[in-house]
Amino acid sequence: MPRPALSAAAAVVLLALLPLGTGGSATGAEDERTTFTVGMSQDVDSLNPFTGIVSSAYEMYQLNYDTLTDYGQADFAAEPSLAESWEVSDDGLTWTYTIRSGVLWSDGEPLTARDVAYTFNRVMKGKYEQTNFGSYVGQIASVEATDDQTVVMRVKAPSPTMLHLFVYILPEHIWRDIDAKDVTDFTNEPGPDGIVGSGPFVVKEHKKGQFIRLERNENYWGEKPAIQNLVFRIFTNEDSLAQALRRGEIDFADDLGSNVFESLEGAEGVTQFPATYSGFDEIAFNVGAALDDGTPIGDGHPALKDQRVRVAISHAIDTEALVERVLGGHGTPGTSVIPPLYQDLHYDPGASAYAFDPAEAARLLDEAGYTEGPDGIRTMPAGGEDAGRKLSFRLLGRASSQTSQQSVQFVAGWLEDIGIEVKPKIVSEDALTEIIGEGTFDMFEWGWVVEPDPDYQLSTFTCANRSYKDGGSVFANLSDSFFCDEEYDALYAQQKEQIDPAERAGTVKEMQRILYEQAPYVVTFYYDNLEAYRSDRFTGFTPQPEPDGSLLFQYGTHSYRSIRPVTAEDRADGKEGTKAADDDATSSGLLTTAAVVGGGLLAGGLVLVALRRRRPEHDVE
Amino acid sequence: MSVDQERDAPVLSARQVTRARRRASAGRSWRAFRSQRTGLAGLAVLGVFVLLAVFAPLLFSPDELKVTEALGGVLDPPSARFPLGTDESGRSVLALVVWGTRVSLVVGVAATVISMVIGTLVGIASGHFGGMAGGALERLTDWFLVIPFLPLAIALATVLGSSLLNVIVVIGVTSWPGTARLVRAQTLSVEARPYLERARVLGGGHWHQMTRHVLPNVMPLVLANTTLTVAIAILSETTLSFLGLGDPFRVSWGSMLDNAFASGAISSGAWWYLLPPGLCVVAIVLAFTLVGRALENVLDPRARER
Repeated sequence: MPRPALSAAAAVVLLALLPLGTGGSATGAEDERTTFTVGMSQDVDSLNPFTGIVSSAYEMYQLNYDTLTDYGQADFAAEPSLAESWEVSDDGLTWTYTIRSGVLWSDGEPLTARDVAYTFNRVMKGKYEQTNFGSYVGQIASVEATDDQTVVMRVKAPSPTMLHLFVYILPEHIWRDIDAKDVTDFTNEPGPDGIVGSGPFVVKEHKKGQFIRLERNENYWGEKPAIQNLVFRIFTNEDSLAQALRRGEIDFADDLGSNVFESLEGAEGVTQFPATYSGFDEIAFNVGAALDDGTPIGDGHPALKDQRVRVAISHAIDTEALVERVLGGHGTPGTSVIPPLYQDLHYDPGASAYAFDPAEAARLLDEAGYTEGPDGIRTMPAGGEDAGRKLSFRLLGRASSQTSQQSVQFVAGWLEDIGIEVKPKIVSEDALTEIIGEGTFDMFEWGWVVEPDPDYQLSTFTCANRSYKDGGSVFANLSDSFFCDEEYDALYAQQKEQIDPAERAGTVKEMQRILYEQAPYVVTFYYDNLEAYRSDRFTGFTPQPEPDGSLLFQYGTHSYRSIRPVTAEDRADGKEGTKAADDDATSSGLLTTAAVVGGGLLAGGLVLVALRRRRPEHDVE
Repeated sequence: MSVDQERDAPVLSARQVTRARRRASAGRSWRAFRSQRTGLAGLAVLGVFVLLAVFAPLLFSPDELKVTEALGGVLDPPSARFPLGTDESGRSVLALVVWGTRVSLVVGVAATVISMVIGTLVGIASGHFGGMAGGALERLTDWFLVIPFLPLAIALATVLGSSLLNVIVVIGVTSWPGTARLVRAQTLSVEARPYLERARVLGGGHWHQMTRHVLPNVMPLVLANTTLTVAIAILSETTLSFLGLGDPFRVSWGSMLDNAFASGAISSGAWWYLLPPGLCVVAIVLAFTLVGRALENVLDPRARER
């Protein structure tokens, strides 16, 4: 809990000392060592890949570690990474991966097939290790290194996901010392040599709430990136993030808010890039918190166990208004949990979508027996277990996200309109993770970034991925709605074995249909990733997927490996320098604001000082 | 003290005498206050804010605060329809500012009451009881006085969670030591006066001495100090809300500034969202300070001797 407060205070301090800059890139791209500085608003929650869940943490993992295969840059097709080739037996049950030879860890130790086997076996046999990676290995029966270059995996049944195993390969010589118990609170913070990995960069330094600094991995097996230093600076305020980009303290700004993004229009040397993204935000319900064995936990409101209530709420939320007002139009209204970016897999409810209709929502609630009490708040139906209990829901939003807080405010307003009381509360993401795991919530606002392979996202709704108990304490698993449905689980198992993409897509869509109908989530919107970068300094960004996907925070490290400083030749092409005229208007507006605000405060301050000086010396203290 | 000696005057009971004396003294104070133009100006500004707070629901319906009912665009500049423009959700900034007055005043006054009660209790007790108990209370005051206010308030607000009540409590329990100091000094001077010695000799207990003799004598000081503390409490509320430690769903000037800051109003050049709450804070703090100063001049005999 102390984090948001302290970081907010830090933001104020930062603002007070504006010309600060830790990035060092401000001195220009022609430094001896090329430094590329990314500004982002979310700190890494943990550098331990078994623990972290936020997207910025995953960005560090994939920069620092490799996976067997990668998602291609243009279209997410599987391509070689640590495994340079693979073969599958005719019965589809045995997969043989050939690991690149001569690969070294960043500390100089050789990386062999044994490290791969170690990592997979650790995940498969672990409990805590299953949380983040369990969905990738469920179908695997055994993993074995037959020699230094060969890994053989046997699967229980033919599987479509064997080229999308997003398990970060860890160095056995480091991780074997961290046993199953230690791993739960292992932070994996970098030592003097950084975090040992095989990815293109090595995390060298992490100052919580301030920055993460990576250096190019000189032992990297692939083509070495042009960037030598890669810094992620954390901003607690978007205005300061945008200002840092304008001033050139950072080279790239990720995940901007729509107002700030639009204010960068015409800024000199800055290119805006509203990327189509694979993320969505949702309002999630506690549909009956329980452990994976079915033991109820938490204190969720009983009304939310009723699908009819959740559907009624779906009708009461105006997703189009959210896109317009909260995202400034940079997104699309949400429906199912696989975003339309993955058009082959996305389920579109079409005519059966829950249209925004408060009257219909009220009718559904009336019909289900949740009638309004004398104070205008609906109560549980008579005759039930909790008869007469008010429909009063706790709704949690995230302190670090303005989008989240705004969404919460809107949803609270709409629910009040249909006679449901809402108690909104804003908490830090860390606190929210804990609250969700324990099931002590009714509703919350958060989001997911969805992988090209749908398996992981779909696994977050299986019975087995509800929280679990280990040695007396409850641990959160992937499920945050505690949704549990037999039919859904059966389909989940089925899609895991469907090799034919079209057939599998059918199953995946059917699963989304069930989710849409059962409504453990109201998917509010698919947001665009609003990015902006210093195009006068760096070029070579590669969107994933082509042509307008994300430039950074992709599946894989494509852009980081292709970004390069702008050369004189690029400048001669004359792409830059045409946008300066418009910038003056914006910045003069800014200056006026700053001057007026500053002037007002100064005047107030002067009056206070004057008063203070007039004060008789002996009157107080 | 026999009535016979004042034959011309009507016969009055002791209570009536006291009341008449108080009325006369209040009249004197008011005349003294009226002679200070800055104090009157402060009082006028304060009056406007109080009226705004009281009649806010008549000026703007509470629906105008609901984001779901908002009709304006995102960060629209001032127009005939929205004289102070709109916020990031399309609500009228003018309506928010007017409603924000309520929270600022409520927090300011309520926190001050807490702070005054604690400060007066501790101050009188530490002045009255010498020795260990008094010393301990004085050390406690000193201790609270040296803790930097903002970090303590932030830590407390974080632990207690964000709600209006908690903000009041946090400000209340962190801003009392100044008052306690002041009250203690006055208590010591009152205690040295002969009539207290007389009360003691006649067998007046601690409670009697403190409530009947010391308290009435320190009250004017406390009152003057109160008006000054309100100003500080309002500023603190704004600060805490701006840092995101207030109740994010209740409109106050601090939370408006917080939202403006978080939603990119600065980059967007939306001065109409930042200035009004900021200027209101300045105005109300100034008004309270002016009134407080004037009151102090009237009520504090030492300040008047100048």
